Amino acid sequence: MESIENNDANRDELIIQQQREIEKEISDSTPLVSEQLPLTCLQAEYNGDEVFTDKIQELSKKYKFIRRTRPDGNCFFRAFAYSYLEYLIANNIAYQEFRELAEASKDKLVELGFPSFTLEDFHETFMDVIKRVCPINSETTEKVKNELHTVFNDQGYSDYVVVYLRLITSGKLQEDAEFYQHFIEGDFSIEEFRHQEVEPMYKESDHIHIIALCTALGVGVRVEYLDRGEGDQVKAHDFPEGSDPKVYLIYRPGHYDILYPK
Amino acid sequence: MANMAVSRIKREFKEVMRSEEIVQCSIKIELVNDSWTELRGEIAGPPDTPYEGGKFVLEIKVPETYPFNPPKVRFITRIWHPNISSVTGAICLDILKDNWAAAMTLRTVLLSLQALLAAAEPDDPQDAVVAYQFKDKHDLFVLTARHWTNAYAGGPTTFPDCDSKIQRLKDMGIDEHDARAVLSKENWNLEKATECLFS
Repeated sequence: MESIENNDANRDELIIQQQREIEKEISDSTPLVSEQLPLTCLQAEYNGDEVFTDKIQELSKKYKFIRRTRPDGNCFFRAFAYSYLEYLIANNIAYQEFRELAEASKDKLVELGFPSFTLEDFHETFMDVIKRVCPINSETTEKVKNELHTVFNDQGYSDYVVVYLRLITSGKLQEDAEFYQHFIEGDFSIEEFRHQEVEPMYKESDHIHIIALCTALGVGVRVEYLDRGEGDQVKAHDFPEGSDPKVYLIYRPGHYDILYPK
Repeated sequence: MANMAVSRIKREFKEVMRSEEIVQCSIKIELVNDSWTELRGEIAGPPDTPYEGGKFVLEIKVPETYPFNPPKVRFITRIWHPNISSVTGAICLDILKDNWAAAMTLRTVLLSLQALLAAAEPDDPQDAVVAYQFKDKHDLFVLTARHWTNAYAGGPTTFPDCDSKIQRLKDMGIDEHDARAVLSKENWNLEKATECLFS
């Protein structure tokens, strides 16, 4: 029995180790956030697959560029943050408003019962990132955008931003638990869902994460769904419904990247 | 170790040191070396459980990717509990695996482990033998867990019957811990334990 149990423990360890190795391979080969790439670069991935090739063709009428994010389960949060801050760099008024909202968000989370000890850490770094991409004037926009790119490829900063957005998302789910409960499949309570699917790093995002985050921050997001669904059009969905999108993302099963409209 | 991990651990260390629970002697933490990669924790067995009165020492290893990945924690003090291996001290607790979140801290971990001692989850076991006993022969489980707490963690209750059975096996040349482990597994049936050891 002891040896069986030891084997079990070892198997656990091995699985975790293998997972780490896969993660490392991904992180060595793909940057957290890539440069802007022409949208047509997607064609190469679906070489010869008509459904996808046609849809990418259609999509390229509306969008010029794609910016890839690392497929590590945090892609939605990272893509969202990058894309929205990039928008804010060119929109000073919106930037100032967002900065105020972000500043106030910590107290709100503490009120909701999050431990201020760790929260402070993430909030501080989050604000630090926002301050570093402060738009000064139109001439410096390019320089600030470079700064944004550097910060988001610095794992420490980048992951801290992801954590903070996860906490904001979790806070929103808690605040409006009654509403979000309807979106949860299975026997999960909101509480369990937050602790198992929202707060831990590397857990993938679903509609419910997107709606909660967008609502909490008051930011419209359009997601283009590139999949095997019917028709030659890529279906788009706006979160929250009817909003004016500031962030454009492309979703392919299991992964989000950033889009740049024409 | 990455700087972020170190500065975070340093702050957490202070957090634990300042906490209410330290004052009540219910949790403790100390450094093992100067690198902050390895710490030693201690939790008190919760009241009204078989672990009451015991002090349980934990090995805590902090990965470079902390706090994005959980610390590696294992019981150094031997313990009889469905979610903790009686052989290796490995722990089955969701927040130390998939459900770890970067907003958690060493203090959260220590308190969660204490809560685990008070509320075992035999349906998600780490140690199948203990879990089976927990469900099937609960009185014996309680006795065994209290006995282990006494033998390894300084718990107050002695069990002369257990001790004398262990002594019998020791007289046959069996190591004390091996004797205790086999007897615990065999529900303190000396005959079966002997059979298991010598067959």
